[in-house]
Amino acid sequence: MIRNLIFLLVIFLGTPGFSQVQINYRTDNIPAELKNRANAVIRNMETTVDMRSPENVIITVKKVMTIFNDNGNKKGALVLFYDKNTAIKSVRGQTFNSFGMATGKFSLSDFIDQSAVDDGTLYGDYRVKAYLFNPISYPYTISYEYEIRNKQNLVIPDWYTNPDADVSVEKSSYTFISKPEDKVRIKEYNFKGNPEILKSEKFSSYTWKVQNISAYKPEPYAPVEDKYLAHVKIAPEQFTYYGHKGSYTNWEELGKWFYNDLIKTRQKLSPQTIQEVTELVKGISDDKEKARKIYDYVQKKTRYISVQIGIGGFQPFEAEEVHRSGYGDCKGLVNYTQSLLKAAGINSYYCLVYGSRTKQSFEPDFANIEGNHIILCIPSKTDTTWLECTSQESPFGYLGGFTDDRTVLACTENGGILLKTPTLTTQQNLLKRNAELTIDQEGNVTGKIKTDFSGSQYDNYAYLTHKSYTDQLKALKDEYDIDNINFSDFKLVQKKDDNPKATETVNLSIQKFASKTSSRVYLVPNAFNKSGTISELKNRTLPLYINRGYTDEDEIIYTIPEGYTIEIKPKDQEIRSPFGIYAVSIKQNGSKLYYTRKISINQGTYAPEKYAEYATFINRINQADHDKIVFKLN
Amino acid sequence: MKQFLLLFSILLSTVTLNAQDFEYGQITNDELALKNARPDSNANAIVTREFGTTKMKVDYDAGLQFMEFQYHVRIKIFNKNGYKHGTITIPLSVSGAGNETLINLKATTINYINGVQTKTILDNKDTFTEKSSKNQSLIKFTMPNLNEGSIIEYSYTLQSPYVFNFRGWQFQSAIPKLHSEYIAYIPATFNYNAILRGKQKLTYENAEVNKACYNVNHTVIDCSKMTYIMKDVPAFIEEAYMTAPRNFISAIHYELADHIGTDGLKTKITRSWNDLDRDLIKHQDFGQQIKKKEVFKDLIPGIIKNSETSLDKAKAIYAYIAKNIKHNFYTGIYSSGIKKSFEQHSGSTGDINISLIAALSAAGLDAEALILSTRSNGTLNNLYPILTEFDYIVAKVNIADQCYLLDASQPFLPFGLLPLECINGKGRVINLTKPSYWYDLKASQKESTNYMLNATLDADGKIKGTLTTYSSGYAALDKRIQISKSTSTDDFVEKLDERMTGMTITDHKIENLDSLDQPVIETYEIEMNAFDHMDQEQLFYNPFIISRITTNPFNLNERTYPVDLGSASESRIMINIKMPENFTLADKPQDVVISLPNSGGKYATAIALNNNFLSVSQILQMNRSMYAPEEYLSLKEFYSRIVQLQKTDILLKTK
Repeated sequence: MIRNLIFLLVIFLGTPGFSQVQINYRTDNIPAELKNRANAVIRNMETTVDMRSPENVIITVKKVMTIFNDNGNKKGALVLFYDKNTAIKSVRGQTFNSFGMATGKFSLSDFIDQSAVDDGTLYGDYRVKAYLFNPISYPYTISYEYEIRNKQNLVIPDWYTNPDADVSVEKSSYTFISKPEDKVRIKEYNFKGNPEILKSEKFSSYTWKVQNISAYKPEPYAPVEDKYLAHVKIAPEQFTYYGHKGSYTNWEELGKWFYNDLIKTRQKLSPQTIQEVTELVKGISDDKEKARKIYDYVQKKTRYISVQIGIGGFQPFEAEEVHRSGYGDCKGLVNYTQSLLKAAGINSYYCLVYGSRTKQSFEPDFANIEGNHIILCIPSKTDTTWLECTSQESPFGYLGGFTDDRTVLACTENGGILLKTPTLTTQQNLLKRNAELTIDQEGNVTGKIKTDFSGSQYDNYAYLTHKSYTDQLKALKDEYDIDNINFSDFKLVQKKDDNPKATETVNLSIQKFASKTSSRVYLVPNAFNKSGTISELKNRTLPLYINRGYTDEDEIIYTIPEGYTIEIKPKDQEIRSPFGIYAVSIKQNGSKLYYTRKISINQGTYAPEKYAEYATFINRINQADHDKIVFKLN
Repeated sequence: MKQFLLLFSILLSTVTLNAQDFEYGQITNDELALKNARPDSNANAIVTREFGTTKMKVDYDAGLQFMEFQYHVRIKIFNKNGYKHGTITIPLSVSGAGNETLINLKATTINYINGVQTKTILDNKDTFTEKSSKNQSLIKFTMPNLNEGSIIEYSYTLQSPYVFNFRGWQFQSAIPKLHSEYIAYIPATFNYNAILRGKQKLTYENAEVNKACYNVNHTVIDCSKMTYIMKDVPAFIEEAYMTAPRNFISAIHYELADHIGTDGLKTKITRSWNDLDRDLIKHQDFGQQIKKKEVFKDLIPGIIKNSETSLDKAKAIYAYIAKNIKHNFYTGIYSSGIKKSFEQHSGSTGDINISLIAALSAAGLDAEALILSTRSNGTLNNLYPILTEFDYIVAKVNIADQCYLLDASQPFLPFGLLPLECINGKGRVINLTKPSYWYDLKASQKESTNYMLNATLDADGKIKGTLTTYSSGYAALDKRIQISKSTSTDDFVEKLDERMTGMTITDHKIENLDSLDQPVIETYEIEMNAFDHMDQEQLFYNPFIISRITTNPFNLNERTYPVDLGSASESRIMINIKMPENFTLADKPQDVVISLPNSGGKYATAIALNNNFLSVSQILQMNRSMYAPEEYLSLKEFYSRIVQLQKTDILLKTK
């Protein structure tokens, strides 16, 4: 992954004033609407980004915040990230009780200092200093100011008016200062109003101000936060980054700089390596087949290891270095694969992307350095191929749910291009299960299951692939969380062609699956695939967002023992809604009982008021999934 | 023939006594051919051989003693899931007292491609040092060129100035080991207590004198050479509901008992409880802090002015300390100064609970310190008094014939209840004037929840009524913590309402949130849809509407380690529903009493329809917090029967 940029994007704010009593910090002065639903309130915050030169960007933050309870206390924490390019110049702060009386002071020496490298990274050079106040009572007020110096201006932190859920904002402002001759592009999102602009001979400045923003509550099935939070993005035209200089005003120029400055020089292969590639694809004429061969070679040879050193995590390791060590991060592995493809005469694109299960795209109308992951694209007029190079298991051409259906930036020698990765549709994301189960007189069940997983569901079982057989059987007990279930003869077959499919076959037994009383037997025919419930929100404010569609089709054929007569059976039903379809039916034919269930959910964004309808739809499915058949014993 | 026999016996003796490092890079045919079958076919990787040794050395130039630990291991990687064992992190302690250093790091990946051996040596520049926190650096590297079937090998030497912490050894890890060997050279001037933990047995153990191994101030000192070998060690697999893994991992630990300094004087570190008592009482950060009653002397009259009995006084002081000194997330048995921590309103468990002991004593109450080892820290050994095994301190106050254990550092704990984390075997009571003694740590209350639903089934198929929940003991603690995570109680109830689909909360009341000695009482007016329409001849209804158990927490087929549920628990559910007059109960789940062996627990139900009142009562008791691995299958069966029973319905018929 690219070095996590989030820390650069999150800003904390404050106000000055270090006297003993601050009348205006009295907590009873806070307007009621700002206390509602809030764990904390930002009383005043002033963020200033002063771009004195491309190598010298000073960020100062002054912030006063009142914390109401323990949950809010984490929001009062002051967390400052730094690295070779980012220096913490000064910090000071003070705490006040609810009457505005000063209770203590703190400075940088009170901070803990530790590595900010995440667990998935072998090495990175970024660190964090953090301070968390430990109050004896609430509410209390914390006030601090700090200054950070960035030795680059490629990444200017985004400013959010109210970045945190459950925190309200009394006053906050953001000022961006640059030289009059500096050209910058600015874009506001979800922001009402205009900045104050000041221009003089020495500087120009832009100031955005907000006040009295109530706390918002996080809501499930909401779009990504950038879709609804007000924020401002700034991108200077001329920039410096770790000694690299450049300029851009659009994606084309940014992509061009990125490729020519950071990537192109890292692709040199030794003659032996080139020879190896030539040998590898010898006799293959079709480019796609060549690429398949090379991808397979990379998957066998390399593994994902994240090491972040040097230029802010944007520049890949040398291709030859990855060849030698057999490992790399997403940049290194994509760059390596691209270099090998080039040696075989195949053109490909190094693509920046937001990798996450929740889809997030690059904005066509505002070029800015973004994303957290790299993938590779082999362009073709009719048959473009996308490759995930960090996986040793992905089928050739399969991206999966981590990078599907979103706009990415392809960095090429001739310029950046925005491309869209393929969409996995509701129909493609298919789980299809057939089971044959026999119930005995005691209610015990034995039988077998066959399940196909495709589309985004292809990798549902990916984590099982290299587990030992015993561990696979153990893991299945969690997958099929049924009391007293036991498995045997488990097989997982992966068909890695253009439409990848994983097929599970397994035999199983479940003791006392059907529950007996003296005269009756109860059976929930939907043995394996029950939908959960979702919260029925009272006041939905955000749009309803369904990230990815899918289809599940289950069929179970039960053989029931003699003497079981159906007394009650759930009614067959089909529930249609704008969000999808659910259909369930039970048919009997002699001793055979046919249970079928089909659910298909569509992706999409809907108005907030549609949420209630969606919750009803999902919760009705949950009910139907738990319906029971009651048998009378003869 | 004679020669042959001689040779044979020499070979034999080297097999048993060949306790020494193995040769770097010399892969044996056995290792080459090794498949993941022995001792554990589930392994993704296996340690084929591992060797470590620790010696005490002297740096004559600097005039310093240091400990030198040499480590050497060879691992076979079977498959891609085993690659993670090719990434290595070695922690080094760094602090004011000195820095540990790593030297002579060597690492090689050995591959066989078409029968040809290739070696890739780790490049120095691919080794990283990360200063992870104030007191720790990490040396990190990952093996180059890993393939399925690769053999990796690395060795290093670690030098440590912490001569009093003799390095221990873990025989067991996340992957199995064929051969794990450790040799400790302990100079005669140092006397350590060695503690062997875990289920696995040593294959070989030997002690011999190693002459003149160590030289301090021109005095030649002998060492005890201790050799330990463990073979065919299975992987350590964590299980759900498990106490601290370190209780079960096979390993050897050392604790310094005494040592003779360079001046020839013997310093006792720990020998007996008497010594330890004396040390603790004299200790600046322990006994000397407990004695500082004067810190609270002037405040006490104000704190206890409304208290009549000793118990009331103790409660008032407990509440005062809990309110006025907040926990700063550090634990430990010491206080760096109770006065300072009281002034700053912030402190470690040590600061807070030593303050509590001092304050209780200042009020004339009989208060003692109780030190213990938390669950995650592991079980105390029974052989020697080892101070570093203790990681937590609480106050013990004795009033009349009653003892109360108090922890003022954790929020929402009622007087006399310890956090579950502290309920771990026994603790040692340290008294300033009397010898110390063991004290059994038993939870003073269990986790207990009572539900009562009184409701009416309307003609339109709706159940409306009042659900009252009483949570006490650890259940009350959990509930208070949960509620505190919401912005307000209204917010808590709103989220609860949203989560419970099919049920609506129309009104609510939550009592005793701040009265920690009382149960938390939640009262909800609820409505739920039981039937779409009532005009049917027969109606099936599942009566287990509250806290239904749908999955079995013990669903595996075997268990290696004890099951630890934290505390004993009890849950009672009583439902009374007034039914329309025209119904009879035609079928119902059988009334049962299911018991666990050895009075381990009980589940009982009773369902009846009398005078148009449907009553459903259930009780689930787990009488112990700990169950032996042999009891696992009983637990599984116990829960399985509950799950089955709760799947069945009642059948109502119209008269």
